[in-house]
Amino acid sequence: MVLKIFFPQCCNKADSGLLVGRWIPGQNSAVVLAVIHYPFIPGQVKQYIHQMRGQSGVDLTVLGSWSMPKEGQEGMESFLRDLSTIFPQGQWLQLSREMGKIGFRCHVLTRDPNGKLIQQEKELKEDGGGEKGGTKRGGGEKKGEENKVEGEEGGGEKDKVIFIHYEQRKVMLSQLHPIDNGVPDPQTESQLPQLLLLQVFGTVCQSEPLFFLDKYDDGPVKMTHWQSEGREGSIIVELMKQASTPVCLLTTWMLTLWTSLCSSRILNMRPMRFISSKLSTCVQLSYRTEHLQTVCSPTRATAHNHFMRKANIFVSFFVDVSLGLLLVSWMYRENRIGKLANTLVPAADYVAKELEELLQWLMGAPAGLKMNRALDQVLGRFFLYHIHLWISYIHLMSPFVEMILWYVGLSACLGLTFALSLLSDITALLTFHIYCFYVYGARLYCMTVYGLSSLWRLFRGKKWNVLRQRVDSCSYDLDQLFIGTLLFTILLFLLPTTALYYLVFTLLRLVVVMFQGVLHLSVDFINSFPLFAMGLRLFRSYRLAEGVKFRVLCEEPGTPLHLMMDINPLKVSSVVQTYRTPTYSCYPKDSWLALCKKLFLGELIYPWRHKTTKID
Amino acid sequence: MGADSGSGAAPGPAVSWRKVLWERQPFPDNYVDRRFLEELRRNEGLRQYRYWAVVQEAGLVAQQISCVALFLTLWLYMEQGLLSPSTLLWTGLLCALLGYGLYQALAPRGDSDNHHRTRWSDLQSASIFLSFTFGFSPVLRTLTESVCTDTVYAMTALMLLAHLVAFPYAHPSPPGSLSLNAALFASVCLASRLPGDLHTSGGLDSSSSPSSLHTFTMLCWALLVFALWPCLLQRLRDCAPWVFGCVCVLVGVCGVGGLGSLWPGGAVLLAALLGTVTLLCPLLLIRLQSDKDNIQGPWDEAEIREDLTHFLH
Repeated sequence: MVLKIFFPQCCNKADSGLLVGRWIPGQNSAVVLAVIHYPFIPGQVKQYIHQMRGQSGVDLTVLGSWSMPKEGQEGMESFLRDLSTIFPQGQWLQLSREMGKIGFRCHVLTRDPNGKLIQQEKELKEDGGGEKGGTKRGGGEKKGEENKVEGEEGGGEKDKVIFIHYEQRKVMLSQLHPIDNGVPDPQTESQLPQLLLLQVFGTVCQSEPLFFLDKYDDGPVKMTHWQSEGREGSIIVELMKQASTPVCLLTTWMLTLWTSLCSSRILNMRPMRFISSKLSTCVQLSYRTEHLQTVCSPTRATAHNHFMRKANIFVSFFVDVSLGLLLVSWMYRENRIGKLANTLVPAADYVAKELEELLQWLMGAPAGLKMNRALDQVLGRFFLYHIHLWISYIHLMSPFVEMILWYVGLSACLGLTFALSLLSDITALLTFHIYCFYVYGARLYCMTVYGLSSLWRLFRGKKWNVLRQRVDSCSYDLDQLFIGTLLFTILLFLLPTTALYYLVFTLLRLVVVMFQGVLHLSVDFINSFPLFAMGLRLFRSYRLAEGVKFRVLCEEPGTPLHLMMDINPLKVSSVVQTYRTPTYSCYPKDSWLALCKKLFLGELIYPWRHKTTKID
Repeated sequence: MGADSGSGAAPGPAVSWRKVLWERQPFPDNYVDRRFLEELRRNEGLRQYRYWAVVQEAGLVAQQISCVALFLTLWLYMEQGLLSPSTLLWTGLLCALLGYGLYQALAPRGDSDNHHRTRWSDLQSASIFLSFTFGFSPVLRTLTESVCTDTVYAMTALMLLAHLVAFPYAHPSPPGSLSLNAALFASVCLASRLPGDLHTSGGLDSSSSPSSLHTFTMLCWALLVFALWPCLLQRLRDCAPWVFGCVCVLVGVCGVGGLGSLWPGGAVLLAALLGTVTLLCPLLLIRLQSDKDNIQGPWDEAEIREDLTHFLH
C-alpha cells in the first residue's frame, strides 16, 4: 500500500517541530495541517489538541515530527525519535530535510504488538518540493522529556511514500463538487480517489479553528500554518457582519407582516386567488417574498449549498433592483411615462381596426377559398360585434389610463423582473379579445372535427367501442343513419369556413403567446441565474472545485514521488446547472409534435406552463 | 416432382409407409407415397346454377339500378322546372302511405300487440325524419353554393356508384350503412343544385339558390326510394316471390321510360345496361363455371365446421 502524505506548502520552510494533522482511515493517508514548534510542553500540546478536536470536530492527532536542520542543532534525530513515546500513535512519521538539499526524508515507525516502535522503512532520499532548501535558524529549543524504548529492527515491508503538496488557503476555501457516478461504493477502484479527496478537503475545511492562532498571539503553543503570519480580516466585512443581524431581524419582521397580510381572508377568496394566480406580477411578487425570506433569515448558513443559494439570491435581487431603479429613472425623466400612456389607447384602437379589416376580408372570399356564405356572415358579424364592445370599453377607460400607468410604473422600483411581468400582464389585458376569439374559433373547430370523425365512422357503419378502445362495426337504426348522414354532409361542407377562422385566430394568438413567452423567459433567467456563483468561478476559481490535477514536481529513480495538487475549477456549465435557483420555470409544456397534433385537433393550447408555485 | 420419390432412399416394399404420427418409421419426415395425389379432389364445391334462377336474382341488381335512374329522373324533372315541388311532395306522401299499407298487409301473422307497438315507433320515426329534414332544409340548400358544379356532379356520381356497389342485395331490409349514407349524401348534393323559385332568388346572385321546398322534396323522395322501398321489397320477396319478379320488371320499365321522356339516348343506354345485367351476366356466369379448376386435398388448412346443434339439447 502506498502511503500518501498531504503536506501544506506553507510548512515547507517551517522550523522543526511536531506535525499536527489527521490520519484518514482506510485510505492509508495522512493530512498534515500545521507544525507546532519548540519549545512546547507536551502536556499543553495534548490539551490544546484536545481542545481543537472539540472545537472543530476533526480527529486531530500528532502525526509525527518534522526536522528542519539548523546550525548548532545536532542530535535532533534521536530527540525527535524519542518524542514518539510521548505521543502514543499507531504510526509515527519522521520527516526531515537536510541542509543544502531539496529533499525530504521520511521514516515511518509503527508499533508492533508489544508496543515497540519499529522502523518500517529503509531510508530513502526524496527530492523536496521544488524550492531550494533554505533553512531557518530559529531560537533555542528545549528538549522535552523523552523516555522511550526503541527497538530498531531493520527490514519490514518497504512501503512507498508519496508526498502531495497543497496550498492550504485555497483548499480550505474550496468546495469539492464530486461528479456522481451512480451509487457511491467505497469498494470500487474509481471511487477511492474521490473519497480520499473529499476527506482531505473536508478535513482542511473543518480545521479552521486550528488556524486562528497566529504568531502574534500569546498562546500555549507556537504553530506554523497558512495564517500564521497574521490573520486575514477586513474592516468592511466585519462592519457588515455586525450590521447584518439587526437588518436581518427588521427585514424578517416586515416580511412576516407582509405575508400575514397576503394570507388574510379578504385576499384569499376564490376570485382573487384565481386572478392573482393568473397575473404574473403577483406570482413574481410572491416569489420574491419567498426569496427574501430565505436571504434574511437570521440563522447563519452552515451548509455550502445553503450559503451559495443565499448569496445568489441576494446578488440577483440586488442586480434586479438596481436595473429596475435605472429603468424607472429613465422612464420618469422627461415624462416618458405620460407619453407611453398617451400612446396606449391609440395602439389598442389600431389593433382593433386591423382586426376589423381582417374580418371583412374573411367575410369576402379570402384567397379565393370556397366559404359558405351564410356561416361566414354569421361568424364575421359575431366577431365584429365583440370588437365593437371592446373598443367601447377601452374608450371608457382612457381618462384613467395615464394615472394608473404612472402609479403602477413605480412598482418597477422593486426590480426589472417586475417591470417585465407588468409588461406581460398589460399585453395580456390589451389582447384579451384576441384570446376570446381564439377560444371561440378553437371550440367551434374542435366540435366540427370531433363530429366529423364520429359521423365518418357512422357513414361506414362502424362505431367507437369505448370499452375496448377500438373501432367496431355496428348496425344502426334507420333514423340514426338518416340524421347522421345529414349532419355529416353539413359538417363536411362547413369545414373550410370554420377551419379558416380557426387558423386566423390561432395565428394571432400564437404571436401574442410568443411575445409573452419571451418576457417570461427573461424574467425566469434573471430570477434563476446564479450570478454570485458565476462571479466566484470567474474571479476566485479555486473556490468551486470539480476535482484536482496533479503535477509532478520532481521524480527521481529510487525516490518517492512529490506531486503538487492543483485545484481543477468547475466547468462553467456545471456551475450554472448546480447553482441555479429553482424557480417556477417557464418551459414549453409539449413537444413540437404534440403541439402540432393539438393544433390540428383544435384543442386549446397553453404552450407555457409554470411549475406549481406555493401560492397555488 | 413425383410423389414416389422422397427426399431420401425409400427402403424396400418390406416396410410400407403409414400416415401416422406416433410411430417411428424408417422414412424421412417429408416422405409422401403414391396415394398422395389420389386424395386430390377437383371442383368440390361447384354449384350448378340454373339460368332462370340466376336471372331472377340478377333482377334485383337491375331493379336497384333502375331505382337510381328513377331518382335521377325526378331530379331532372325538378331541375328543368317541369314538375313543381309541391306536386311531387304530395305524390311522395301518397306513395309512402300506400307503401306502408302494403307493408303492413303483407306482414306475417303475429300478435296485434306487436303491430301496435311497431306502428307507434314507425310514427315516431316518420315524425323525426320529417322534422329534421324540414329543419335542415334551409341549411342544406346553400351548402354547396361555392363548390363548382362539376365537382358536385362528380361527387354525386361517385356516391351513387358506392351505393350500388355496397347495397346488401342478399338481404335489403336492414339497410346497409354505407349504401344508404352514400345515397343520402348524393341526394343532398343534388338537392343543393336545384334551381330555386323565381321569388326567392336574389337579384345580385349569379346562381339562384333553391328554395327550401325543393330541398325538402328531394330529401323525402331520397328517403322513400333508398331507405323505405328496399324494406317493402324484402317483404314482397318473402311473401310473394312471383310478385317480386313482376315488380322488378315494372320498375325497370318505369326507369327506362322515365329517362326516355327526357333523354332518349340515356334511356337506350339504361336499357342496354339492364339487359346486360339481367340476361347476359348470368349467361357468362354459367358458361364460365366450366372453366373452373379448383383443387382441394389433404394439404389444405383445416376448416372447423362447428355443429352447434348439440348445444340446443
